[in-house]
Amino acid sequence: MQRALIFSSSNPIYSQLSTTIAPPDSAVFPKRDGGWIGPFSSNQPPVFRLRNYKRTLLPPLCSASDSVANQPTMASQDEQDPRISKISSAIRVIPNFPKPGIMFQDITTLLLDTKAFRDTIDLFVERYRGKDISVVAGIEARGFIFGPPIALAIGAKFVPMRKPNKLPGEVISEEYSLEYGTDKMEMHVGAVQAGERALVIDDLIATGGTLCAAIRLLERVGVHVVECACVIELPELKGRDRLGDKPLFVLVSST
Amino acid sequence: MVEMFAAENGLKGDPRLQAISNAIRVVPHFPKQGIMFQDITTLLLDHKAFKHTVDIFVDRYKDMDISVVAGVEARGFMFGPSIALAIGAKFVPLRKPKKLPGEVIAEAYELEYGRDCLEMHVGAVEAGERAIVIDDLVATGGTLSAAIRLLERVGAQVVECGCVIGLREVKGQLRLNGKPLYILVEPREIDGC
Repeated sequence: MQRALIFSSSNPIYSQLSTTIAPPDSAVFPKRDGGWIGPFSSNQPPVFRLRNYKRTLLPPLCSASDSVANQPTMASQDEQDPRISKISSAIRVIPNFPKPGIMFQDITTLLLDTKAFRDTIDLFVERYRGKDISVVAGIEARGFIFGPPIALAIGAKFVPMRKPNKLPGEVISEEYSLEYGTDKMEMHVGAVQAGERALVIDDLIATGGTLCAAIRLLERVGVHVVECACVIELPELKGRDRLGDKPLFVLVSST
Repeated sequence: MVEMFAAENGLKGDPRLQAISNAIRVVPHFPKQGIMFQDITTLLLDHKAFKHTVDIFVDRYKDMDISVVAGVEARGFMFGPSIALAIGAKFVPLRKPKKLPGEVIAEAYELEYGRDCLEMHVGAVEAGERAIVIDDLVATGGTLSAAIRLLERVGAQVVECGCVIGLREVKGQLRLNGKPLYILVEPREIDGC
């Protein structure tokens, strides 16, 4: 089955920043003396490959009656939304967290930038409003930050997908692999109904393991997962492939 | 008098409060025997009631010159960001230990048995900023108290704490460092109990 394309242009354009670029000057944390603390970086500044984002082109999202041939095309389809670069530069990279070798993508600095945070939510809301989505599932814990504002704006329920033993009452759970060992994700029984159309939201997709677990939980109760949406993708970890035929929408792609 | 219930502070008879209360589910004996757990996830499933919840907080705080909304992990994350976005404030997550990357400050607080710790990023909040703290429920006030201390340690002014649910009976025993507490509804009881 052909995977529904997020970017329906046949020639997606990646604007790739030079690897020699200095860490962005844009604010991360203000210092008390009026200066700025820049984003953490060691020898290797973060490189953001900014994925093409179509501002108004919204390919139909996986409903049974859609056909690829009906997808509209717009003259501006290859432009990147101007809001993306500010969102990207508001994200801070912390080297060697939680362990050596990992360049952690810290979205908390995005939450401190009121305009960039607003724009982040707006970009998702613009994509999903009016698409008959009744469920926004957010993955603990950073998915709880982005999911509810989106759900409220598009008129959907918010369903938290949680670590074990946090949700009271009856739950269903899904085990998934970690680098070492496994973890479990839980969802409330009865939170969603068969036939509902859902999004799964998290701050970042790495390997895709957590998102896959969330998709499985929802599909087990008959929900149609229309798309997964993340602020950041780490493409080298191939999470997109792991999602298989589930579409993935991201704002920033980071290597 | 530290606690303010919405129904007695400007929202008397507001039907939204009843809708919010009705949408909250009580789960008996969670996480242990004797505790009637106030489950707000059912409120999140009720789009109208969830929107009312956020709207009431937004209406209250939008003209108070608040630049920081601090939310306590994890259920504070479900309410805080929407409020922050609507009033044009930053959202600052207050987290369990070792979750926040980079430099943090930490504040310990008492649990019924043992202690726990809340962390905030260094530099997230500046001295002089006006802040509110948001959580789903206040019980003893221990977590909120730790949140207030974290913000005050960096020189922020905590204007108020806002919670969806709060107990009335603990007045006087509530540890909130003298800060006002605004509560939408009281805990629900099990129907038929």
